[in-house]
Amino acid sequence: MSAEFATLVDYWFGDLPPEREGAFEEHLFGCAECTGKLQELAALGAAVRNAWRSGAVRAVISHALFDAMKKEGLRLREYLMVPGGSVNCTIAASDDFVVSRLSASLADVRRVDLVTDAGRFEDVPFDAAAGEVLVCPAPAQLKLRGAFTTRMRLLAVEDAGERVLGEYTFDHAPS
Amino acid sequence: MEDAELAKAIAGSAPALDAAAEGEFCRRFAPRVRLYGLRHLRDRHAAADLVQQVLMMTLERLRAGKLREPERLASFVLGTCRMVVMDQRRGTARRGALLEMYGIEEEAVEDAEPRVFERERLTACLEALSERERSVVITTFFQEDSKTVPGLSTGNVRVIRHRALGKLRACMEGA
Repeated sequence: MSAEFATLVDYWFGDLPPEREGAFEEHLFGCAECTGKLQELAALGAAVRNAWRSGAVRAVISHALFDAMKKEGLRLREYLMVPGGSVNCTIAASDDFVVSRLSASLADVRRVDLVTDAGRFEDVPFDAAAGEVLVCPAPAQLKLRGAFTTRMRLLAVEDAGERVLGEYTFDHAPS
Repeated sequence: MEDAELAKAIAGSAPALDAAAEGEFCRRFAPRVRLYGLRHLRDRHAAADLVQQVLMMTLERLRAGKLREPERLASFVLGTCRMVVMDQRRGTARRGALLEMYGIEEEAVEDAEPRVFERERLTACLEALSERERSVVITTFFQEDSKTVPGLSTGNVRVIRHRALGKLRACMEGA
């Protein structure tokens, strides 16, 4: 019998308990269908990694990813921004990514929304301990753009309503 | 051909080689060993090395007629994977000697062409995920051994990953 997709995902990311992992591997080695499904998952992972590395995707990223990208030798242009701050920014042809490090007081904050010219992005990942939200626009698109000014705003969403954590202005010029 | 028949065909032809049976053995088990290697070693070159080593060691055993239970061929291959990975972690290597002895061509155990995902569709499907889902998917595939996304517990990451990969898969299949 073929395994559920959820079991394959748990196996791939090491989330199965050891006793289940051993039994699942026994099944996997005798199951051509499960092998095929796991190959699909592995291929999807490789495609996601390639799409990310090629700069086709935007994301608000975790510090774990930020550190992993640096460790891998990707060239990151960083802008450290304080609330109310503005910066003249760019992206060079040699840059792999631009990371806007939006600092804010995030202690006790449960949900953060990011508001940009492109719209409102709800419940973005953030690192409360580091007090930062890391915004990565899609580099491939950014490299094609001319000069523009854009603003980002971080909002803490709470039971009582929402409050502004910070506003950040970016004056972009092509490199 | 069942695993047991395959094992018997390879053993029965010794000292000559049954190229067709050995080819089928490699085609059947190379993807499974490669996936095992990717899952446990998280390195595609190390996984490719593992494929070479495990297939060579198993063929060595089969040709010598030393596989006592041919119907358990899949279990034997899995056991060999586990042993080689443990050996690798201990810094032991048999690969050079076996390569010299049996000279299996690297192309013979290369994985089949992995599925190619259409880049624009993948980008659109990633874009359709929520910010948190996209961040978890990119982070976990970029750094497949990472289970930590700041601001989330491991349990939360697992739940988000399941949901996100389900959506991504459905989107890629046009569902």
